[in-house]
Amino acid sequence: MKIEARQRRKGFRAGLLLLAVFAVICLPVTAPAAEDCRFCHDEPLYRVDFNHSIHAGNGCTSCHVGITNVEKHRDGKEKPAPVNCGSCHQEIAKEYRNNFHYIQEDFRCSDCHRNIHAIKQDKNKNIKLAIIEKCTECHGNSDYTTSGHGEAVLKGNQDAAACSDCHGHHDTRVFHTSLEQYPVEARDFYTQKCKRCHADSAMMKRNNLSDKMVTYYEGTYHGKVQELGYPAPVAGCGDCHTKHNILPKEDPRSSIHPDNLEANCGRCHTGFHTRFLSYQAHPDYTDRAKYPALYVTFLLMGALLVGTLAFFWVHTILWWRKVYWEHDRMEREGIVPPSAVATGEGQQQVERFTVKYRIMHVLLVLSFFTLVLTGFPLKYAGTEWAQTITRLWGGAHMAGLFHRGAAFVLIVGMAYVSLESLRFLFPRGEGKKGWLGRLLGPDSLFPNLKDLQDFKGMIRWFFNKGEPPKFDRWTYWEKFDFLAVFWGMFAIGGSGILLWKPEWSSYLVPGWVMNIAALVHSEEALLAALFIFTIHFFNTHFIPNKFPMDRLIFTGTYRLEELKEQRPLEYERLIAEGRLESMKREHTSIPLKLISATFGLGSLLLGMFLTVAILWSILFG
Amino acid sequence: MLVLLVALAACGKPAEAPPPWKVVDASTLRALMASDKGLLVFNTMSEIECLDHRIPGTQCLACEEIESNITLLPADKDQVIVFYCESAGCYRSCRGAGAAVKAGYRQVHVLDRGMPAWKQAGYSMESIERIPRGSIQSVRASALKQMIAERKDLLLVDVRSEQSYREGHIEGAVNFPLYRLSRSYAEIPLDRTLVLIDDQGFRTFLAGSYMEMKGYRVMRLFGGMQSWQEMLAAK
Repeated sequence: MKIEARQRRKGFRAGLLLLAVFAVICLPVTAPAAEDCRFCHDEPLYRVDFNHSIHAGNGCTSCHVGITNVEKHRDGKEKPAPVNCGSCHQEIAKEYRNNFHYIQEDFRCSDCHRNIHAIKQDKNKNIKLAIIEKCTECHGNSDYTTSGHGEAVLKGNQDAAACSDCHGHHDTRVFHTSLEQYPVEARDFYTQKCKRCHADSAMMKRNNLSDKMVTYYEGTYHGKVQELGYPAPVAGCGDCHTKHNILPKEDPRSSIHPDNLEANCGRCHTGFHTRFLSYQAHPDYTDRAKYPALYVTFLLMGALLVGTLAFFWVHTILWWRKVYWEHDRMEREGIVPPSAVATGEGQQQVERFTVKYRIMHVLLVLSFFTLVLTGFPLKYAGTEWAQTITRLWGGAHMAGLFHRGAAFVLIVGMAYVSLESLRFLFPRGEGKKGWLGRLLGPDSLFPNLKDLQDFKGMIRWFFNKGEPPKFDRWTYWEKFDFLAVFWGMFAIGGSGILLWKPEWSSYLVPGWVMNIAALVHSEEALLAALFIFTIHFFNTHFIPNKFPMDRLIFTGTYRLEELKEQRPLEYERLIAEGRLESMKREHTSIPLKLISATFGLGSLLLGMFLTVAILWSILFG
Repeated sequence: MLVLLVALAACGKPAEAPPPWKVVDASTLRALMASDKGLLVFNTMSEIECLDHRIPGTQCLACEEIESNITLLPADKDQVIVFYCESAGCYRSCRGAGAAVKAGYRQVHVLDRGMPAWKQAGYSMESIERIPRGSIQSVRASALKQMIAERKDLLLVDVRSEQSYREGHIEGAVNFPLYRLSRSYAEIPLDRTLVLIDDQGFRTFLAGSYMEMKGYRVMRLFGGMQSWQEMLAAK
């Protein structure tokens, strides 16, 4: 028995030795097992609750790293390193690095996840409610918890925004909104948060809300400047709806309740009449019952746009077809147009535009391009090209300043042309006498009966039914160009002046007129830009016998043979009135030709680029 | 004419003098500390805040106490000294680096954007005496004004510096500057609810957690004195 016992003891010792060797070789710094820890840390939390927690599969030292020897730890010689949850939860740790609570107050995981040893996964847990409860431990925001989103969450709505839906969860941003620091970044950030849910059709439908509010907001000046990404101080969602007290307008506590609107708008706008408040922050143009005036304007502007463009596009295509085919015929038959082989007097340069009108056209071109390049990025705020152009201007605010500057140039030009027109009709010395004759005469830009006949003649010519009509000084399409700018100036200029300083405009018109003005301004601008870039450019420059451009408006003169060919009636009049001699000019100098060609071709190319950008935005934007 | 005036006005504007210390970014400071174990780096927050969390291997020296403890700095005026604090904002009330420059130190550095930059770079921190974060309710200025009128058990504790307190404080507030609160808190009675007040509301959370740890009931003023003054101005 003794031997057996001794042998067993020997075996036991050998076993122990083996185990020790194994331990030394294989587990040189093996952490203590959980049972070792629980020998001292024997609270039920570690003995029972932890084993049922979500982290139960981990040993104590998975988190409390740095303990290699229980005895040393027991004697206080070895302390665990701070817990690094990020060694497993890497993504969250990365996000958390920029969390306001970490940056400012050095919050660690366990400061919010306090009961970490007993934490369980509960599929039925109301996460949103738990988040609200956690945040309001410190942030006792009664504005939020007693109204709007907070109230809905507390009533069980799982769609309504809890704190983390707007402020971030582990990536709570450092905006210091209480100090009004980073107002631009904060506005952009929170506006995106609002849009994320309020543009979600399924979610909005479930909650009996409109899913179009974001689209309508993005259609307004506020929304467009915001979306452009170079924000001037315009209203984001929270500026009107406030940050936490978000309530429907029927609620007297709501910032958008009619009684509170003056104070609400007054936080950004000053010096307005109370009728300013009828401005619609996100109207639906297609809602006939709710916004009848906007609806009618929308239809009328749409019809004007489509009607004008369709009519002139067809006209231009037919014209181009005729000229191209005609060219082809002449090429085949070896016929050369007389203006191309003009000799002698046919080579003589004749003035069509005086220096004054050439300068005015250059100013018109420059101001028009400035207006298009500053206005259209706002119209198509969401596109890359719009954002690039705005960046080149130095931001939306600078673009706005240039827009107003160019508008001023155009308005002055328009006033001057009006004055010139009056002088033309009522020249000094003659008074009212014969004004009707001058208005409908061949030197006037006002349409007359001959224009109708010319139009019919052109259509007949397009369809090979006759010779082209003989024109006098102004063709009917040139008259349309002139009058279209005139009409456009009333529509765009008038609406633009109203929108220039809407607070002052509210002393003239109510706020909802500003919605109409914005719509008219935008649609008329689209019509003007597309008309100039497609119809005017084609009729005047890209038509095959003038391609790629007609320098006439910049050099001011053309050959006598061209005058005879293009405007025979004017030529006959000049001969009859004996004025031709006084209109003869020297041949254009090389510098002027070069400048004209560069400026003209540059304008045409820029216009083509903008046309592609605009059409692309309409079709795919 | 107008353009000329604007141009003249722009020329007349005096250029801001550069600060008399050098700015060092977080990664450079980390490299410097790794290569020079004896580099003197000071956390200029209060002792409470500094012991709660600081950059490893740095020392606590509250900004307000640098001038009176200037002997703690090395005798060699050419030795490199680095100062840092919780954020860019804490320089407004006290510039620790300025005191060192005034004392004649020529190699004074400041950590660019303070501890937030260090944290955002992902570098570790150390805690000597970490304060358990409490649930410190913050009250807005307007609500506090109402509470002062209605409740008798409040004690307003202004934790700003003595100078800021002297320049103006909420009526009835007592001054216990944060930089020496760890030594003076016991003078505050335990039977009142404290409302902690600082400059901008960023420093009362940790101070509040500390006081809660010491057995006090604590609230704090959201946005600090700045929001209180804004509230008064708005009215």
